[in-house]
Order: sequence, then structure tokens, then C-alpha cells
Amino acid sequence: MKRNIHVHAILLWLLTVVVAGASCNKKLNEINPSGLTSDVAYSNAKGFETLVNAAYTYTRFWYGKEEGYSVSEMGTDIWTNGSGDVYTQLTRYDNLQGSNTSALNLLWDNFYAGVFLCNTGISKIAGIPDYTAAQKATREGELRYLRAFYYWHIVETWGGVHFTTKPADGVETTANRTPVDTFYKQIFEDLQFAIKNLPDKTSDYGRATIPVAKAFLARMYLTRGMNEQAIAMANDVISNYGYTLLAKFGDLWNMGNIKNKEVIWAIDYSTNLTNNDLTSSAYPTGHSRGSNNGHLMFLQVYDQVNTSILTRDINNGRPFNRYMPALSLLNMFNESDDSRYQSSFQTVWYCNKAARAVGNTFIKDSFDYKVGDTVCYASKNTLNAADMNAKRYTTYDISRVYGSNGIPTQRKFYVSLKKFKDSTRASAAEAQSARDVFVMRLAEMYLIAAEAEFKIGKLDSAAYYLNLIRKRAAIPGHEAAMQISSTDVTLDFILDERARELCGEQLRWFDLKRTNKLVDRIKALNPDAAKYVQSYQTVRPIPQTQIDAVTNKTEFTQNQGYQ
Amino acid sequence: MLSKALLVMKITTFFLLIGVLQVSARGFGQDKLNLSFKNAEISGILINIEKQTHYRFLYNDQLRGIKRKVSIHVENAGIREALDYLFAQTELTYRFMANGLIVINEDINRQAVEKKVTGKVTDQNGSPLSGVTVTVKGTAKATITNEQGVFNISVENDDILVFSYVGFEPQELKVGDNTQISISLVSAAANLENVVVIGYGTVKKRDLTGAVVSLKGDEVKKVPAGNVMESVQGKVAGVDITRTSGGAGSSVNVTVRGNRSIIAQNTPLFIVDGIQYSNFQDINPNDIQSMEVLKDAASTAIYGSRGANGVIIITTKRGASGKIRVGANAYYGVTDDTGYPVPMNGQQYANLKREANRTAGTWKSSADDAGIFKADLAAVQNGVSTYWPGLLLKKGSQQDYGVNVAAGSEKTKVFFSFDYFKEKGLLANDYSSRYTLRLNIDQTIVGTFKVGLQSQLTWYDENRRTDNVLTVANKVIPYYTPYATDGSLIKFPGNANQINPLLEELPGTFVNKTNTTRILSSAYAEWKPFSSLTLRSNLGITNGSSRNGLFNGENSINRSTSTGSSAKVTNATQTDLIWENIITWQKKLADHSVDVTAVTSYISNKQDSSYAQGTGQLVPGQSFYALLNNPSNLAIWSNYIGSNLLSGAFRINYGYKGKYLLTVTGRADGSSVLTKDNRWSFFPSAAVAWRVIDEDFMASQHLLSDLKIRASYGIAGNAAVKPYSTNTGLILIPFSWNDQTMQAYGFDPQNGNRNLKWELTGTQNIGIDFGLLKNRISGSVDYYDSKTHDLLLLRPVPTSSGHARVVENVGKTRNNGIEVSLRSVNIQTKQLTWTTGLTYTRNKERITDLVNGINDIASGLFIGSPVKSFYDFQKRGIWQTADSTAAKSFGYKPGDIRVADLSGSKGEPDGKIDANYDRTIVGSAVPKYTIGFSNDVTFGNFDLNVYVFARIGQTFVSDYANKFEPNAIENGAAVNYWTPENPSNDYPRPNINVSRASLPFATTLGYKDGSFVKIRNITLGYTLPKTLTQKIHISSLRWYVSAKNYFTFSKVKDYDPEGEGSFERPLTKLIVTGLNLEF
Repeated sequence: MKRNIHVHAILLWLLTVVVAGASCNKKLNEINPSGLTSDVAYSNAKGFETLVNAAYTYTRFWYGKEEGYSVSEMGTDIWTNGSGDVYTQLTRYDNLQGSNTSALNLLWDNFYAGVFLCNTGISKIAGIPDYTAAQKATREGELRYLRAFYYWHIVETWGGVHFTTKPADGVETTANRTPVDTFYKQIFEDLQFAIKNLPDKTSDYGRATIPVAKAFLARMYLTRGMNEQAIAMANDVISNYGYTLLAKFGDLWNMGNIKNKEVIWAIDYSTNLTNNDLTSSAYPTGHSRGSNNGHLMFLQVYDQVNTSILTRDINNGRPFNRYMPALSLLNMFNESDDSRYQSSFQTVWYCNKAARAVGNTFIKDSFDYKVGDTVCYASKNTLNAADMNAKRYTTYDISRVYGSNGIPTQRKFYVSLKKFKDSTRASAAEAQSARDVFVMRLAEMYLIAAEAEFKIGKLDSAAYYLNLIRKRAAIPGHEAAMQISSTDVTLDFILDERARELCGEQLRWFDLKRTNKLVDRIKALNPDAAKYVQSYQTVRPIPQTQIDAVTNKTEFTQNQGYQ
Repeated sequence: MLSKALLVMKITTFFLLIGVLQVSARGFGQDKLNLSFKNAEISGILINIEKQTHYRFLYNDQLRGIKRKVSIHVENAGIREALDYLFAQTELTYRFMANGLIVINEDINRQAVEKKVTGKVTDQNGSPLSGVTVTVKGTAKATITNEQGVFNISVENDDILVFSYVGFEPQELKVGDNTQISISLVSAAANLENVVVIGYGTVKKRDLTGAVVSLKGDEVKKVPAGNVMESVQGKVAGVDITRTSGGAGSSVNVTVRGNRSIIAQNTPLFIVDGIQYSNFQDINPNDIQSMEVLKDAASTAIYGSRGANGVIIITTKRGASGKIRVGANAYYGVTDDTGYPVPMNGQQYANLKREANRTAGTWKSSADDAGIFKADLAAVQNGVSTYWPGLLLKKGSQQDYGVNVAAGSEKTKVFFSFDYFKEKGLLANDYSSRYTLRLNIDQTIVGTFKVGLQSQLTWYDENRRTDNVLTVANKVIPYYTPYATDGSLIKFPGNANQINPLLEELPGTFVNKTNTTRILSSAYAEWKPFSSLTLRSNLGITNGSSRNGLFNGENSINRSTSTGSSAKVTNATQTDLIWENIITWQKKLADHSVDVTAVTSYISNKQDSSYAQGTGQLVPGQSFYALLNNPSNLAIWSNYIGSNLLSGAFRINYGYKGKYLLTVTGRADGSSVLTKDNRWSFFPSAAVAWRVIDEDFMASQHLLSDLKIRASYGIAGNAAVKPYSTNTGLILIPFSWNDQTMQAYGFDPQNGNRNLKWELTGTQNIGIDFGLLKNRISGSVDYYDSKTHDLLLLRPVPTSSGHARVVENVGKTRNNGIEVSLRSVNIQTKQLTWTTGLTYTRNKERITDLVNGINDIASGLFIGSPVKSFYDFQKRGIWQTADSTAAKSFGYKPGDIRVADLSGSKGEPDGKIDANYDRTIVGSAVPKYTIGFSNDVTFGNFDLNVYVFARIGQTFVSDYANKFEPNAIENGAAVNYWTPENPSNDYPRPNINVSRASLPFATTLGYKDGSFVKIRNITLGYTLPKTLTQKIHISSLRWYVSAKNYFTFSKVKDYDPEGEGSFERPLTKLIVTGLNLEF
């Protein structure tokens, strides 16, 4: 009897365990309340809006970022490296390889992520139940505009690399090589779709609209040599959407007037910096500096000129000393007529710390300096040494910056591009600027039209468009001196004009590539890069990580010339 | 009869009065008796006692027992002991009256059915044990042995006596015809040496088939340290333990038999009292009864998907019935760094700057000093020099105070303890305090049904310094001073870019305060319906919650390049729920013994965390307590991670004649982190052992006293798949329209992989356990080979796919090696014992396969090399002037770093230095072998432990050696750099135009041979003699002095290579003194 009780008890115990165990089985379903998946998030209009928003964010890895400047402005005829440059491979083509240039990885990775998101959205949007037909059209227009925008950067930077319009399903370990023409066919198709479906205005500053798509299409036409279409499209944007050139070139860079009538499309960095792209524990895939970093890159180290009387401050900016103008760029300006020199470059730095100090570091006599006294002057001209030594401030004229061959003799003190400086930053050390990055502004449309007119041989028309730009650029009273005639118009002149108008605005490399002038002008004007540049370098090396990761290595190969 | 009795009383009273007068001077109860009689009448012996002492007896001489003849032999015994002994064989009882009068009577109740049993309880060495509880089994009748270990109790012949005593194995004895019993108890510790805790059970050491190392409580607390794993460094063959940070409260890295996993952690599974609990640093070392390390798959496979990295089982102490035991420990020690390299002083730095300018042609002689030093010229000429790291590094301290109590009755057993540990780091405001409370209860409810509870609460109060404060201190230009003339701190000394690192020592400038509470609590119910069957159910809950408050003031290093202060509070909780049911069935049939264990297990793990942060608050003193006052950059975040594991497991131990042993184990695990198709996996193992020593043919030899051969094979897993890895997630991207925050969700760069499964490790193990010369020398040798496949790898996918990476089961690793542990008793005499322990571990770790079978250079993974390998150019020195032509052919000039041209596109040196062909494995962070060598000497009341630990063959990257700034932009290492006059082969030529980042092959400067031998511990202890301590009612008092990490021998100057090269948190040495007390 006693034994029976035991047996029953054991059975009961086992039964409890088994029943409890069986009920546990459903515990093996995974619960993830803090995570989101695309199936859930992108299933309705509200969720889909977040996809479209996100599709814009990948532009922030290029515009206003060091990596973007390094591939769009550097390696051209107008810039060379300051002593702080970290991507001299891109600035000078010095051992440029996919394995040693992380800037290329960041852009490649993120622009393809942008394409993937656009592809996902375009393939899903038809199934979003609570969108109206009009909303669908608008959002698909935006996604297609962005896809075209991303693909243009990809195809121009790397040539005929991977292309798809479908989001990969599951894990994709191969990549294809697609002809450049295929990219452009899709770019044109997407832009036409966008123009047909987008609204012509938006209340969300920075969203794609018809004129945005048209302006970009004008650039695409010019790029592909479709000059008549380029002229027509540029004129369409110039005439029909209420854009005007600001009266003064310098006003373009005023932080108080950053959203102005000349801007066609900008990356709208928020003044609330937490809305921007700085890497954080909440946004680990962001950018390591975040927001607009253009203000950091082009400044000379003014805070090393004379530490006793000139220290780093907000107005003068945080000098990263990455890039300095090639001598050629300075020589392109006639500063007595053209306001764009003084509006684009900082040449004088003033005392911000009163002290008795050796003010002119070339003569070593001490004086008393007050706040506001000149401490440093950088000139685009060659000055008389005795004159410079007679001054109480330190002068860096051309002879103290560049050698007779045009190669800088020192790379710390020089005329500095100031377009992107931002004195609204909270502190001198703040790396993030809320300055919008102008991706397209009206002046470019004139320059597109001018270049297209030139290419079809209409030099008069080209001069007409150029003069519109030059008139605005003239120092008041010097308008006549700025005017050119059709005989002045050459391709080099147009490129010089573009440099004067757009230097630093992340277009230069594409301009040179489009006009087949990249290698020629580098060899002629940028002695640092001339030593290294090769004819195959009209495309950049594909990141080695991509090459390493593909399983179809015989099909997906590195661009020619690179290892 | 009555009258005679009265007469005796009267006479006695008379004597008593005199006696009182006589003895009052010497007091009562101190008389010691020596009695030696054979077959003497008790009454006669009583008279003898009266002669020896002041006691007087009063009795009726008609009592039956009083004329009985007995034999007695006691020396130096107390009166009670003597009487107990004397009367044990009779029905006589005694009672103490006032003034030394003892009344003797007859116990009428007992005489018929009961008899008196007397006895003495000793330990193995024959020393009497006082306070032993002697219980008559099944009754409430109990007594306790006296100071001499003697007890007496009335029993029936059928009764069973149970002897129980803290720290000793309980023992039972049938009374039978005995009236005198002498029994020696076996200490629990000694007995435990023969019992080894394995997964879900125990096994006698002789029956063990796997590779298991068992350490007892004394061993785990020998080296004073904040956590047990640090204490046992080098003591377990096959376990590599390193402490790479000397920061307060920093833990150690533990790997068992090398690194198998690449993206997963290689830390072993920790099981505390049956519950998985990875926070071993919470455990008070004084609470530990034993620690077992399960190394081979045959032992770990019972833990299935979690066992592949080895299993460390910690068992805490429990109460016992008998005398209450109270222990107390205290120590206090002072810590100092074990060496810290000194950066350049002002003069050295100025010289570097001159040389750097000289190379560029901007300095020729001191006449040019003004041009290069500018505003700093005066400071340079004054010869000012500040040793910045020295201003930050101070002496720290370590202290520990604990009390523990073990007690119990027959049915209730309790152990509880309290411990306070505090470590002050070498940096100001760097501290960690730990409070640990433990309560273990075992309660028998009825018969063989018992329940119990283990619970531990740990609370930490910690503040840790910035991670880069010493890195900054090593950069600051040495000819600047931290203080202004008014004594205040200068924010940017000398207008430099480096913030003054001393600012963070000001109150409230940098706060990084963490409070952590963790509870480990488990309850069990156990029932033995038959002696062969045990049913047990465990329910464990571990709960951890922590709050980190981080405040970076405006003057903190982290905010020196930003605006305003920043404040952040992070809260995290973690809860594990574990429910396990275990059936154990044991049976012995003739030559066969079978032991079957079956387990069901459910483990649920939930973690959630949240933080809130902001910048720019008005009043710094609000620290992180008023986040609402932060006007800008407000951010909030919360997160949840959960997973469940459901398992069933079994183990069969079979023995034939106790000589041939077989263990078969299996576990099935089902996990929520994998998809339905891959959810369940099975982990089998088998092991055999042959006790050669028990064979007949061994009986005739006397050299070997133990010999066993073991072999096993099994598969265990690594539960490293992170929850939700099978899904592709979205990430929130900060975004706005018109400055209004908007939601934006993009794809996580990591793609989900629905085909994920466990990483599996198959291990074969061959081992031999032996003892020589009656176990004067004993030891084990194990050879193992473990192969891991389905390795979880974060595989890069072409980013053109829209994703950057995916976790996949590709790749393989292999670890094989040999482990030796030896123990010898070199001298064993009454006064002097000397024992030596030696462990030797040699492990060869390498990756055997990766994605597509090719090296993953970007991730630093190389087939044939250990997981943590260094891949770089091979430095051959510096290009010298004489070799300038050769240097030029490679594109370098004298003064540049010279590296080897190892190969080229054709597989041979090609006269070019190229990243593709000329980089190679220059070292690995894993050692070739480690040795632990421990000596224990006891001489009289003194004990001495000297413990040496060696870790040989590893490489580390020295922050200091790497800190060479050729352009003298900031301070760095004082090194022998090349100049035209100084043809050094160590460091290249300084050059104002070359930054460290652009210095060719700069990374080759940092690799150092990390081999070291250190005298990990020297402890000298003195235990007060018992005669002294007993006077103050203390059973044991030991005082000791200990020096930890005091001597390190390595090829690296001024640095302890165990720290793996970090500038931050140098390792510490400790000199400590403490007391161990037992009541």
C-alpha cells in the first residue's frame, strides 16, 4: 500500500512536469516588442511615410561631409591638401585604392542602402491600403527621384557597377556589372516619372518637387550630352518656378537667409541637432561627425598663427586644415571686380585676446595687441617682403604658401574658403553645423544652359547665361568689367566660371569628368595631384570590402587600373 | 537504613563546612582528575575523587550501582567527565548542589528499558570534538559533547545515534550492546575531496569519467581579490584568466581551453547552486564551499547549447546541525600600480620638437628656438616639466570585512553571511563597493522530504573615471603646468588643444556612478520516496537592476570639444527565471552500479533598459539628477530583449565492479532565438574510464597508489545567437521636416538569417589520473582536441545588396592542447608540512575555416591563426644612412621605418612593400602556455603560501610604444628615435610634416612580447595557539600579511603586460593584512 502511494505520487509529479513542460512549448515563440520589421512597419500609410523620410537620409552621408568633399571637390584642379587631410589618396590620387580609402566605403555602403530602401518602397507602395492614389503618386515620385539621385552619384563615381531596381530578397552575396547606359536609362525614366507625379510645391522644405526633379534632369541631360534638352529643362526651371538669383552672391552664405529663393534643393540640416545624423547609441549607423561639417574642412589653422593673441573662437571656426586652395583657384579670381573672392574666402583674422606678443612671427618684435587688431593676413598675390615685415601682423602672401612650381611650401596657413562657416554653432568646438547644403541652386541652371549652348556652338547664348551670373557676382560698380563676350567663351572659361561660382559646393569633380577635362586640368593646374593622376581615374576604385564580399568574383571585378 | 544515610549526611555536612573554608581560595570547578582503576568499586573511586578535589559526595550506600566494579582511565579530566564516565555503566545519576556537594541517586525510570551510553567524538586526527550534536534518530532526544568530546545519553539497544557537526559529515551508529562508544567524524572538506559536483548531481571523484577540476573553499580565497575567478588565476589547468584593467571593481576575462567563437563570447557558463549566474564577481569568496570546472564535452554536454565554453559550478556553504559556528574575516590593503611608463619630460619633448623641425629645415640650432616654440619659449627655457600621469595616479586601497554563521538543528540548517568589499582605484573618485548578503536554508519537512532556499543579494556602489583620462595625460605637453599662479587649474594649459586632465578631479566635474542590485535566489524541494530515487525541483530567479548616472561637466574631457555639460541616466533590469526538475535513480546490483539522472529545464531571460539624456543644464551640481533642466539634445530610448530555452536531458552512469565506468549523456535544447525548423538540437556525449589501480595485477606494486584512464567524446553548443538575429530589423533614423522631428525607419545594415543554428563543438578528451607513493604525488594529465563547426560569423555581404552583413553558420575553429596538474606533499611532519601544486596548460588555438575558405583581413581573421591575431608588416628596424640606396628603391629614406619585403605578386619578394603581400601574422593575444606554481608551507603555527603564475608567448599592443608623434604635436613616449647622429633601429626620424597617422608603418611600433612571470601571491599567516584563543572563547584566530602581484618579470619596462598595453587603468599590486576569526 505504502509503495502504491509512492508510485502515484511519482506519477503525479511527472505529470505536472510534463504538462507544465508542454505548456512551455509556446514559450519558444520569439517576442520582440522593441524591434520593428519591414512587414509590420511599412504596411500602412503612416508607416510608409517613415520609409520615404528615411529614403532622404542617405544624402546626408555625402552632402556636407568630409567623405563627400573628398570625392566631389578633391582630386580636381582647384584644391589640394592641407596638412590635416586624411584622404590624400582622393586629394592627390596618391596610391588611391579601394582597400585604403574608407571614405569610399561610407558612400558606397550608404548610397546602396538608400537605393535598397527606394527599391523596397517602390515595390511595396502599390499595396499600401490607406494611401490615396495622389499620395501614392507623390511618394513614388519622391522615391524614384531619390533613386535616380543616388544612382547618378554611384554611376559617375564608380562607373558601371551594381544595378538593380528590385530589393534583394534574403541574403544576396553577388553583385552585377551593369553598363553605364542602363543606369542612365533608369535615371531618365525615374525622373520623368517624378516630374509627372510630384507636386510643384511642398510645405516640407527639402522634399522633392517638380522643379527639383527638373533641375536634376537638366544636370543629367548636360551630363549625357543631350544639350538641347538640357537648355530647355534649365530654362524651364529658371522661368517657371519663382526662383531668383539673390542680389548679392555673399548673401547666399548668410545663416540667417539660408532658405532663400535661389535654392532649388537643399539638404535641410535641422537646427535641432538631434534630428540630424550624428552616430549615437540610438543611431549607431549614423555619421561620426553629423550634420554639416563643411565649416571644418577648408579653414587654415589660424589658431596656430599666433596663439598669444588669436585663439580659436566660434566666428573664426574650428579649423580642420583638411583642404587648401590650389594656386590655380586663387588665380581664377579677379578680386577687384568679382565679389565672389571676398564672399568665398577669408583672408584676414583679427586679435581676440589682448596681449603683448610677437605679432608678426616673421620679425619677432613684441607689441601690444588689442582685440580687433589684425593678426593674420593671407593674400592671393605676391607681396613685397619688406612691406610684409613692416606690418605688425603676420602675412602669408603667395610666396609664403606656394613654391614657384605651385606646390605649397607649407600647408597650414593660407587663404581659406569661408562659404560654410557657421557662427551660430553653440561653441567653437562644435563640429555639427545646421547649415543646409545646397545641392542645386539657380546659378547652376544658368551654368548648365551656358555649357550646353557652348557645346552646340551657340557662344552668344553661352555668354548671355554666363553674364547673368557674372553680373550678380560683380562688386557694385564693376558690373561692366565683369561682362564677357562670346569670344571669351571656351570650355575652360566655363569651368573657371563654375569654380568661381560653385567652388566647394560638391560639383567640381563631376564637372571636370563631364567635360573630359579631369586629367588635363589636374595636370595643368594642380601640381600635387598631377604627379599621380592617371587616365583611368575618371572612376574611383570600388571598396575592397565589396570586392571581398561578393561570391562571383570573376564577374564583379575592380575598376580597371586599381588593384 | 535511613538513619545510616542521615549519619553520612551529617558527617558530609561537617566536612563540607570545613571544605568551603578550605577551597574558597581556589574556586570551584577547576579541579582536574586523574583516575586509573581496574575492577574497582565505584564507592572507592568516589573516595579517591574526594581526595583529589574539594567535591564531596552524598549518597545512599545501599544503591545498587555504588558497589559495582568498573575500570576507568581518565587523565586531567573534569569532574563531570569523570562522573559521566564512571556512571555510564550504571543506573546512577548525579546532581551538583551548592558548595561542591554532589548528590548521587538512582534513575529509576531508565533502568528497565534504557541504558546509558557514553562515548567520545574525535576528528580524524584523534582530537576531541566539542559541541557535536548526538541525536537519537527519530526522537527529540539529543545531547552535545563537552569540551573533551565526551557525551552520554540514554538509549535502547535498537536506537541509532546520529552525530552531526558543522564542517563534518554526519555519521550514524547503531547502539547495539555498546555502552562505550568512540567515534571519529570525517571532516566534510576531506570527504568532499572525494565528491565532485557535476552538472545536476555529484559523483565520487574515483568514479569521475570526464575532465573536471575541483577546488575547495580554502583554495578559492587564498589570494585576496574582489572576485573568485581572479583568486584562482593559474590554479586550474586549462582555464586562462586575465585581468586587463586595474580599475576599481574591474572583472577578469575567463576562457576555458582557448577561444572557439569569433563573434560570440568565449566565457564559460557559470552555475551557482544549480542556477546559471554569470556575475561571479558578486559572490563572496568566503561563502564558497567548492568550485568545479567542467572542461570536456562529456562533462559539459549535459548543459547542451550553453556548454561549449566550459562550465564553472560554484557551490556555496550550507548550515549543519550542531554547535553554531561563526566566522569573521577582515583585511585591508594598499594598492599601487605595477609599473607605468613615463612619457617625455619637458626637455625630451622640446628636443623632439627641435629634431622634427630640423628634419623639415626649420630648425638648425637653439637660435631657431623662438621660431618653433613661439609663445612657449619661456616655458622651454625655464626647464619646466610636469609628469602628468603621475599627477593622476595615486595609491588605492582594497578592503574586505565579512561575517558568516553556520548553524542548525537536526531538521533545520542555516548558513548566512554578510560581506563588504571596497576597492579604491588609483585614480581619484574611482571606487567600487560591494555588499553581499547570503542566506541558505535547508528544512526537512517530514521524513525524506526537504525544502530549501539559497539566496544572495549583492549591491554595488561604484564610480568609475573616464576611459581616456590617462590617454589625455600622456598627450599634454610636459612643459606646461596644470596650475595658474593663484593655484587654480588652467583649463587648456599653455593654449594647447589638450584639456587639463586634473579638472575632472574637481567635485562634480565628472560623475559616472553606478548602483547595481542583483538577487540570486533559488528554492528547491527534494523528496526521496525510496532510497534509490530522488525527485528534485529547483526554481531559481535572478534579478539584476542597475542605474548608471553619467555627468560630464563643461570642464570634463568628453565635453571639452562640445558645448555645455551632458547628463545621462541609464536604467537596466535583467530577470532570469529557471525551473528545473531532476530525477535521480541509483541502484547497486552485485557488480553493477547504475546512476540515472533525468532533467527537464525551462530558462527564460528578459532584459530591458532605458536611458534619458540631455545637455546644457544650468547648475552643474544637479549632476544627473535633474535631466529636465537640460535644455538641449534631449533623447530617450528603451529596449527589450527576451529569450526562452526549453530542455530535456539525461545522464546514465554505469559502473562494473567499480573499475569500468561509462557515462552517456544527452540533452535536447529548444530555443526561441532560432526559427521553428532549427529550434531543437541534441547534444550527445559518452565517456569511459578504467580504474587500473583497482585491478588485481596492481595489488602487488607499491609505487602507484592511484591510476585511472579516461576517454570521452561529446558535442556541446554555444548559445551565442543573439535574440532576433533571424529577422531583418529596422532602425530609427533621426530626421526632421522644417525642424520638426519626424519618424524615419530604414533597414538595419545587418540582415536577418532564418537559417541560423547553434555553433557546435565536438571535443575528445583523453586523461589520466594518478597517485604515487601513497598519493604523496598525485596529478592528472589531459589531452584534448575540440573542433568547433557551424561557427557563427558576422559575414560581410556586398553592401550593394543594401545590407552590410549577416550572421551565418560558417567557419571552423580548433583548439587542442595538454593540461597537467600535479600536487605533491614534499614534507609532512608534525611541525612542518610543505606541499606543492603545479599546473601547466598548453593550448593551440586556430581558425580552420572562414567564409569561402579565405582570410578575412578586414576583421583580422586568419585561417591557421588564433582568433585574436595581429596582422601587420614586419618591422626590421630603421633605414640607415648606409642603406639609403636600398631604402630609395622601396620609396623610403634613412630614418623611415624599415619593414620586411616578404613576398610579392609572384610569391617572392618583389622589391616593393605592399599591403597585400608583405603583411603577416606578427603575434597573437593568446599565450603559448601558462604555468601556475604554488607552494604551501606550514611550520607550527605559521603558514606560508608562495604562488607564481606565468603566461608565455602572447603579444600585446602597447599604447605607450605606439605613442610616438613624429611631428611633436603632442607629448608621447620617451623613445630612442633616429637622427643622423643617432642611428637607432627603434623609432623613425621625427618630422614636423609627418603626423603619426601618416607615418608609414607606424603600427609596427606597438607590438610587444607579453610573456610574463609574476609572483602572484606571497602570504604569511600566523595562527594563535589554541590554548590562548580558548581563553577568549575563540576557536581559531589567524593573522596574515599578503603581497599580491608584487613581482613581475617580463621584457617590457615599467609595465605589467597582463594589462595588454592599455594606457588606462594600470594593473595594481597589493599589500594587505587581515584576520580570520572563528568562534
